[in-house]
Amino acid sequence: MEESKELTGWLERVLEEFHGVKVQRKAARRMRIDIDADALPALLELLQGRAGYVHLSAISCVDWIDDGQFELVYHVLSYETGTLVSAHIRIARDPGVYLSVYDLYPPAAFFERDIHEMFGVYFEGSPDMEKFILTEWDGPPPMRKEFDTRAYVHATFDWQQYDPEWLREIRARGGGIVE
Amino acid sequence: MRPENYQAVSHPPSHEYELNIGPNHPGIEGNYALRLTLEGDIVVAARADAGYLHRGFEKLMEGRLWMQNIALVPRICVPDPAHMEICYALGVEMLGGLEVPARAQWIRVMQLELSRITAHLFYFGGVAATMGMYSNMFWGVADRDLVLDLFEEFTGGRVYSMFNVPGGVRRDLPDGFLGKLKALLDYLESRLEDYDNLFFSNYVVVHRSRGTGPMNRQQALEWGVTGPNLRATGLAFDVRRDDPYLVYDQIEFDIPTEEAGDALARILVRRRELQESIRILRQVAEQLPYIKGPVRCPLPNPLAWNVPAGDSYARVESSKGELAYYTVSNGGDKPWRVHIRGPSQMHAVQVLENLSVGSRIEDIAQIMFTLDACPPEVDR
Repeated sequence: MEESKELTGWLERVLEEFHGVKVQRKAARRMRIDIDADALPALLELLQGRAGYVHLSAISCVDWIDDGQFELVYHVLSYETGTLVSAHIRIARDPGVYLSVYDLYPPAAFFERDIHEMFGVYFEGSPDMEKFILTEWDGPPPMRKEFDTRAYVHATFDWQQYDPEWLREIRARGGGIVE
Repeated sequence: MRPENYQAVSHPPSHEYELNIGPNHPGIEGNYALRLTLEGDIVVAARADAGYLHRGFEKLMEGRLWMQNIALVPRICVPDPAHMEICYALGVEMLGGLEVPARAQWIRVMQLELSRITAHLFYFGGVAATMGMYSNMFWGVADRDLVLDLFEEFTGGRVYSMFNVPGGVRRDLPDGFLGKLKALLDYLESRLEDYDNLFFSNYVVVHRSRGTGPMNRQQALEWGVTGPNLRATGLAFDVRRDDPYLVYDQIEFDIPTEEAGDALARILVRRRELQESIRILRQVAEQLPYIKGPVRCPLPNPLAWNVPAGDSYARVESSKGELAYYTVSNGGDKPWRVHIRGPSQMHAVQVLENLSVGSRIEDIAQIMFTLDACPPEVDR
């Protein structure tokens, strides 16, 4: 893994030229980059085109409701060095719109569609923003922090008293295992 | 001879028609559906339709304690639950800065490889069934049960073991366990020849699966293919070797690859992986008696455990490909966010849609099963 150190070292020097970038080495093969949302496509283009980060491992969305922001994390991996770079950006929670990176990484289509469905973030330029998993759901995006699953269940469903006769009989005998 | 109210049906100017496969169909893995557009029996377009198995794990995990989630995560993927719980535990350990004792790491490797064997045995049965061979499924399930017996002995659970906690494993191995493990490995190895005769060198299997659903390495990289499916296109990348976790860097094993990238290559890669797993397990059985010490590090009260704020991205090589957990803590006693990246999120959606186009309708099941697409990972 000698190569990997050199390559990531080179990458760090290139990244210093970006504005508003904070680079942090978290572990031997993990790097965290905090970057402005406007500069992310350029960063990914650089990572993919010049540094061999060809694999988009995932796009994660985190709802920071108190800050009024969504955090989008792009995890990209280089097969040559086994190094994973996580690029963190923050976008405004309202209106929650960002650019798609589908043109760079085709796997982004799934993650963007998923985030749109679960968090309501719209990705401009993504090939498909249709519903996928929650086809029959017309409520708010459920992974948002303000959506309270328990409150929704209480408001939507009636509790049923489950007390059949056979259960009452067992209880009358003092409970336990039926012989 | 026509009835009086007969009116000719006007066909659209095309020979295309739509066909739904699933969510309840023997050619579909799990609760999943495909909407195919066909011309004759050639697929011209395919759309994946997920959501029949959505249980909202990611949301549920936000409402439970860090420790409680251990009972939840293995249920995401039925055939290969050990990778789910260990990957989650690795993520929490990274956040909490916990040092896992060496003995626990070796026991985890053993659990992971046994789980990989069970998943692959299931896989061979499923793939064989798509070609009309059912003996393989019976054999695979019977042999898998012997592995599950071992799971039951050292974890207490046959399928969902919930054996790991952040910081180690629940308890040490029972007495005489490694002897039973070695006996099982001998048995599994002796069975490989039978499986070869029945399935892997079977004339029908080889000719039926050669050239089905092919992709080259360029396409695989573009579509985000990982794991055995990527190795079937000739790229020898394995998280266990190239981004090692636990003690995989102290274990010797090869990374099997095939060049063709078709269904046959995907089957053969897994066949050889089964052998590599046995090889890893033999090393574990050799090493474990010499590795003494505790099996878990001291933890704070799990009911009031505030994991330090931060985020972590834990990756493992599951039986299906790259599995990752992105875990975020805001310093509370529950996760703020857990994002699960399963390999099937690519394999069952984009890759399956792309490979289906141009293939014949009878190949769809085979393509889906050889990709080892696991719908529960897509839905979560």
